[in-house]
Amino acid sequence: MLAVRPGVPQPEDTVQFRVSMEMTKLDIRNYLERIYNVPVAAVRTRIQYGANNKRNHRNQRVKKPDYKVAYVQLGQGQTFQFPNLFPEKEQDAETRSFDDFRDKYMEKEKQKQEGDPRRGGVPDWFGL
Amino acid sequence: GSAKRFCVFCCRILQPLCWCFQRGWGLCFPACPQTALNLYHKNLPNIETLHQMKFLGLEEFFDDPGNWGEKSVKSGDSWNIKQLRGKSSEDLHKLWYVLLKEKNMLLTLEQESKRQRKPMPSPERLEKVETSMKNIDLVVREREIALRLLQTGHEKPVPGEWRHDFLGRTFWYSYKEWPIPWHLNKKHKKKRFYYLPHVNHFIRLRLEKALRKRARQQNMERTRRKILEKKFPDIAVKSQSQ
Repeated sequence: MLAVRPGVPQPEDTVQFRVSMEMTKLDIRNYLERIYNVPVAAVRTRIQYGANNKRNHRNQRVKKPDYKVAYVQLGQGQTFQFPNLFPEKEQDAETRSFDDFRDKYMEKEKQKQEGDPRRGGVPDWFGL
Repeated sequence: GSAKRFCVFCCRILQPLCWCFQRGWGLCFPACPQTALNLYHKNLPNIETLHQMKFLGLEEFFDDPGNWGEKSVKSGDSWNIKQLRGKSSEDLHKLWYVLLKEKNMLLTLEQESKRQRKPMPSPERLEKVETSMKNIDLVVREREIALRLLQTGHEKPVPGEWRHDFLGRTFWYSYKEWPIPWHLNKKHKKKRFYYLPHVNHFIRLRLEKALRKRARQQNMERTRRKILEKKFPDIAVKSQSQ
């Protein structure tokens, strides 16, 4: 079972999970109540079909796996907002110096690509 | 009404139907997160001071908030089978649930990192948790087999025997429960647990194929070892004789 960020905005009390295909609504309710001690008011499930359209280098169809999605409504008026697990953190000296080095290198590469600055951006195709 | 009993660690009210309550345990295992930390009941916290603690179970689907946004998270090694064999069954039970919750947390993180198109910090944690859970399963199976041997003298829960199929392959056939004997079962009688003499040729071919595969693997292993020893002479295994 894993908690996922909902693709479509859900009500405040609804949490979205991806569960095993064999789990039922009752199973999900008991799982959350006993292992995580989360009060569950209602559970709704659906099975998401994984597409079979993509093809690999041998032109064989590659199937994306199917999975079951559970929408769990919390009891006792609790609300849940999926948190931001990748907040911006201030970089330490090492990453900052690496980024500076990389930016300078990219600048030098771009300068090599450009033509003579005295021509004012005109391509070399034109004579003179 | 009955007096409410509180979990010793996190002062949540124990449900009377919860099996921990019925056993007289003072804690709301496995939902209590503190079971992971205080397995040995050394520092039992005071209940009054914990009344201010609010607890939302869904927080356990995510890592410690201090680790969000980090490039890598430190984690210890996976549990070895030898280490697990020394633990009691209750400890193994608790450890299983701790590992289960950790696995759920890591899967959540993996999916979210795919969604945000960012690299997942320390994906090797998932492998470690998987191997630990597999090892716990093996240890529990070993203990079950030992108990069954002592009690009944049988190793397997279901009796069975080795049989051949119509292609000459040998497999373990475990007995199933049927309402009628096998000689009255028309569909079962159509199954053939013997093979005719013309199959011997194909058994030999199959054997040769398996032998060739095994020889190929051994040769490949030997050549790889030689190449590595040439590249790094110091890792060569020294012979015992002087």
